[in-house]
Amino acid sequence: MNRIEAALEARKETGVATSPSTEVAEPASKTFADAVPEESQSAGATPVVRIEHLCKSFDGRVVLDAIDLTVPRGKILSIIGQSGGGKTTLLRCINLLERPDHGSIQVNGEAVFADGRVVCPDLAALRRSVGMVFQRFNLFPHLTAVENVMLAQVRAGTPSRTALERSVSLLRRVRLAHRGLAYPDQMSGGEQQRVAIARALALRPSILLFDEPTSSLDPESTVEVLQVMRALAQDGMTMILVTHELPFARGVADWVVFVDGGRIVEQGPPEEIFDRPGQERTRAFLSNEAAAQPDA
Amino acid sequence: MHLASGPFKVPWSDYYGTLFDGLQRTVEYTVVGFAGAAALGLLVALMRVSTVRLVRLPATVYTEVFKNVPLLAIIFLTYFGLGSVGVRLNVFEAGTTSLILFYAAYLSETFRSAIRGVHHGQREAAQALGLRRVDSFTRVIFPQALRLALPGTNTMLVDLLKSTSLLVTISAAELMSQARLITSATFRALEVYLVIAGVYFALCYPLSQGLLWIERRVHAGLPISPRRRRLLRTAAALLTEEEALA
Repeated sequence: MNRIEAALEARKETGVATSPSTEVAEPASKTFADAVPEESQSAGATPVVRIEHLCKSFDGRVVLDAIDLTVPRGKILSIIGQSGGGKTTLLRCINLLERPDHGSIQVNGEAVFADGRVVCPDLAALRRSVGMVFQRFNLFPHLTAVENVMLAQVRAGTPSRTALERSVSLLRRVRLAHRGLAYPDQMSGGEQQRVAIARALALRPSILLFDEPTSSLDPESTVEVLQVMRALAQDGMTMILVTHELPFARGVADWVVFVDGGRIVEQGPPEEIFDRPGQERTRAFLSNEAAAQPDA
Repeated sequence: MHLASGPFKVPWSDYYGTLFDGLQRTVEYTVVGFAGAAALGLLVALMRVSTVRLVRLPATVYTEVFKNVPLLAIIFLTYFGLGSVGVRLNVFEAGTTSLILFYAAYLSETFRSAIRGVHHGQREAAQALGLRRVDSFTRVIFPQALRLALPGTNTMLVDLLKSTSLLVTISAAELMSQARLITSATFRALEVYLVIAGVYFALCYPLSQGLLWIERRVHAGLPISPRRRRLLRTAAALLTEEEALA
C-alpha cells in the first residue's frame, strides 16, 4: 500500500492527475495498474484481471458503461457505490456468470471475453481460477459443510481423500472445523458465509470475488466474516470486494473504485476516496452511507 | 370342489396359483412401467426447462396430449390401434408402453416443477465453482429436485400400481384379469372382487408407508448410499482430530 501511495505522491509532484479525471474520455489516466510502481508490476507479472471498455445493458437499461479496470496480483480492490449501480454485474462479468455486451476481459493474461464474444475455451477452468462468494451464501443445502467444500475439488479430479483433508484444513482456516458435519440450515449466517469462503478457496483460485458478503448478516456474523477476509488479505490473496462495509473497505483495500450509473466516477487509494473525494457524487454517496451506518 | 361356510364359497385354495401369477404380473407391470415412466418423465422435464424453444415445444405437446387423454384410450390405441397399422405389440409390451406414456406425462410435470423449485443461486454457485453442466445437474440440482419431487412421485407410483388393473381390458394376466377369470368360473363377483381389492390394498398400503419413510429420511438429509456414509465417517474422524489439535 505504501508503494501505491509513493507512486501517487510522485505523480502529484510531477503534476499528473491530481484532480480526479473521471470522464470516460481519459480513462487510462489514472488506474490501479498505473498506481502500482513498475518494479512491483513486473515482479507480479500480468495482472490477475484486466477489463477494458466493458459494457452491459439489460433490456435497454445501461448497467455497465465502458468500464476499465485492472487488478494486479496480490492486491485488493474494493468497488463501492449505490445498489443498482452496476457493482454486482461488473463482478459477475469477470467469471462470465453474466455475459457482457462489449469490451474485453482478461484473466491471468488470457482473454476470456473479447469483441462481444466469449473467447474462453474452457469456461469451467476459468471459473475454477476465480472464486466467488455470494451475498446469500448459496451453500448446497443437501450437503454438509465439509462436503460443500469438497465437491468442486472432487469433480475437478482431486482424489476424495486429498479433497477431504484439504477441506478440513480450509474449514479450520475459517475456524469452523467443529461444524464440518453440520448442514447449512443448521448453521448461522456467519458460519454459512465462512463455509462459502472455504468453498471458494478450495480450488486455489488466483482471485476471490466477494459480492456483498456481509449484506445479509447480523452485526455479530459480519464481524466473524470480516475477520476471515482480513486474514485472507494479510495472506496476500488477490480480491475484488463489492461491499457496503466502508470502514472495512478502507482498512483492507489497496484501491477503491466508486461506481455509479454504470460508470467509474472516481477511483484511487482509500485515503483519497474516503477523505478527499474529488467528485460531488462520491461525496454525496459517502455522506449518505455514513448516515446509514450508526456505528461507522 | 369342497364346500366353504358363510358368504365365502369360492374354493380359494384352488386359485392360489392363479392369484400368485396375477400378483407377479402386476408387480412386473408396476416396476417396468414406473421405471420407464420415471426415465421418460425426467427426459421430458429436462426438455421442458431447456432454453431452446425447439426442444421445449415437443415436450410440452407430449405432456399436454398424454395428460388429457384417458389411460384406457391409450391402452386400446397401443394394443388394438397400432396392431391395425401393422405395429404388433404383445400384451406386455402394449401394457407397459401405455403406462409409461401416460405416467411420464404426469411425472414430467412433477419433475419440472421440482427442478424449477431449486433456487437459481444453486445453479450459479455450481457454475461459479467451475462444475460442468452434467456435474452441476447430477450433484447439485438433481439431489435437491429429488427431494422436492419425492412426495408427488410416490403418489404416482401407488397410482400406477392401481392403474395396472385397467389392463384387464387387454387380458394382461395381472391381478384384475385373474379375478375376472375366477369370477367367470365361480360366479361369485362380490367375494372375488372383495378379495382382490384386499390384495391391492395389501400391496399399496405398505408401499406408500415405505415411501413416506424414505421421504422422511431423505428430508432429514440422512445419508442413504453406503459410500456417502463412509465418507462422512472418515470426515468425522478427521474433524475430531482437528479439534483435538486446536
